[in-house]
Amino acid sequence: MGTKNLLLACLCLCILISCGENKTTDAQGKKKMAVIISTLNNPWFVFLGERAAAKAEELGYEAKIFDSQNNTALEADHFDNVIVSGFDAILFNPTDADGSIVNVKKAKEVGIPVFCMDREINSLDAATSQILSDSYSGSVAVGAYFAQQLNKKGNYVELLGLVGDNNTWARSNGFHSVVDNYPDLKMVAQQNADFDRNKALEVMESILQANPDIQGVFCGNDAMAMGAYQALIGAGMADSVKVFGFDGADDVVGAIQEGKIAATGMQFPNVMAERAAIYADEYIKGKRDFAQKIPVAVELVTSKNVANYAAYGE
Amino acid sequence: MIATATNQKLNNLRPLIALLIMCLAISLLSDKFLTVNNGWNILRQISVNICISVGMTLVILTRGIDLSVGSILAFAGAIGAGLLKFGIDLPSQNINIGFTLLGGILGALAVGGFLGWFNGLTITRFKAPAFVVTLAMLTMARGFTMLYTEGFPINGLGEKFGYIGTGWFLGVPFPVWITLVVVLIAVFITNKTPLGRYIYAIGGNENAAHLSGINTKRVKMIVYTISGITAALGGLMVTSRLDSAQPNAGLSYELDAIAAVVIGGTSLSGGKGSIWGTVLGAVIIGVLNNGLVLLNVSPFWQQVVKGAVILLAVIMDKTNKE
Repeated sequence: MGTKNLLLACLCLCILISCGENKTTDAQGKKKMAVIISTLNNPWFVFLGERAAAKAEELGYEAKIFDSQNNTALEADHFDNVIVSGFDAILFNPTDADGSIVNVKKAKEVGIPVFCMDREINSLDAATSQILSDSYSGSVAVGAYFAQQLNKKGNYVELLGLVGDNNTWARSNGFHSVVDNYPDLKMVAQQNADFDRNKALEVMESILQANPDIQGVFCGNDAMAMGAYQALIGAGMADSVKVFGFDGADDVVGAIQEGKIAATGMQFPNVMAERAAIYADEYIKGKRDFAQKIPVAVELVTSKNVANYAAYGE
Repeated sequence: MIATATNQKLNNLRPLIALLIMCLAISLLSDKFLTVNNGWNILRQISVNICISVGMTLVILTRGIDLSVGSILAFAGAIGAGLLKFGIDLPSQNINIGFTLLGGILGALAVGGFLGWFNGLTITRFKAPAFVVTLAMLTMARGFTMLYTEGFPINGLGEKFGYIGTGWFLGVPFPVWITLVVVLIAVFITNKTPLGRYIYAIGGNENAAHLSGINTKRVKMIVYTISGITAALGGLMVTSRLDSAQPNAGLSYELDAIAAVVIGGTSLSGGKGSIWGTVLGAVIIGVLNNGLVLLNVSPFWQQVVKGAVILLAVIMDKTNKE
């Protein structure tokens, strides 16, 4: 019994001491921004997170990146830690449009402003502002160019990302909202490849066995577009089939220049990340009046205008 | 006695029969399935899984498990790509050590072997459960990969390196040759060498094996090292095929490998099973993946079907024991 109490006392002491330490470093050090990113398992999000952190540091803040590993529960832990250790703002890329709302509200209650980047949450009063990539309109533009390039007729394949991900469907729906208006454009296969290059390569190889007569491939991201293109090379069909991607990753920008990939929807993670950091800075300095949703356009990049773009819209 | 022997043979044939039924069904539904090209496709696609599964079979035969293969695959692939592309920088001496193709390949295999050896060391030295040790390695090796690549893929590795994953040799895809060699070596080890007999003995009864004078620790170290090396080889093949080392390569590959081993009839409680069974298991998974896409089955259903096949394999394994 005695040892148990002693242990308990030690534990309490530990908690108290660590709390105390946090407070003192806060008081002495710079103000801090937390960058909470849905996953660092994908270069696009790594770029988004690093840009946000870099901009925050440039503005004179201390910045720390948290990786939620596509797990809303882990994200909740990050929010708890961020709130406890006294950050002044959160630059946030949510894991889930609905699941993340409660986390954002938790921060709002203690007065920490949250700025969403790229992905939205389905709440209009939780986050201070949401700077969002307009995936739907972007894929509408890709779809229109797709229909034009295929002369509004022919067979095509669609590679979806992760079937449980809302971005997957935003892109697919945007694309189909245009392409489905042309009865002569026929989708012969629709399969998922999890936003993954290797999976896209393997799935595309199998699809090409079943459907050798295709003219176009629409992929939900650029990694899959590169995988699909490699499958087409392997089948000797790279010249006759047009591949369309989404994201604006650097190898695809290069591939568009070389005429290997037809087009991609260029997103601007640097614009979203930097704007979020700037807004957070303004909030800390006293500004309170922010638009709830700020869409950042996704631009169509083709062989005609690719010279104006570098990877991720830089 | 004769009856049980024929029974045993029949049991060994079960995965093969299942495969034949599957092939027949798919080829009735799609005329594109039974073509030479599609055959090469399937073989090329399952090469990586077979490589990993061979190492996994040896581990499982000793009643162990290796959950770290997917992460080791990613790390070794990244190291191979990094050595080839950037070499090693020594800023203090201001030199850069460049690597030849062979140097990069051996570097990647060495890294895989080392991580596997480290798994084996921890498991034998501290008598720690393999499940936990390799789970820790799964997380750590993925972290090493992220650190090394900084979260971005390493692209553009050159045509020579690309041959490993995309080349053809004597009319057969090169990765299939690599896999064939790996399989033959493993079959030789399990059937013809003392090491093979020790592996089965340890899986059957580790204490008895130890008492009969087998150095069980050494044998275990060897199987985990082999598993690391085969995972690294898989990493080289994936990286070469994609012409790109992806930091998230090999996610959940350990589960595909375990599935191949189990479908192939190797018992998770050790001591029973074969390399050929695992190869068959991997072919079944490959044919299933390919067939479901050829038939344009909805992605949601595909996962249900794959899970059901694994379940069926385990149930068959259990019922034939009783």
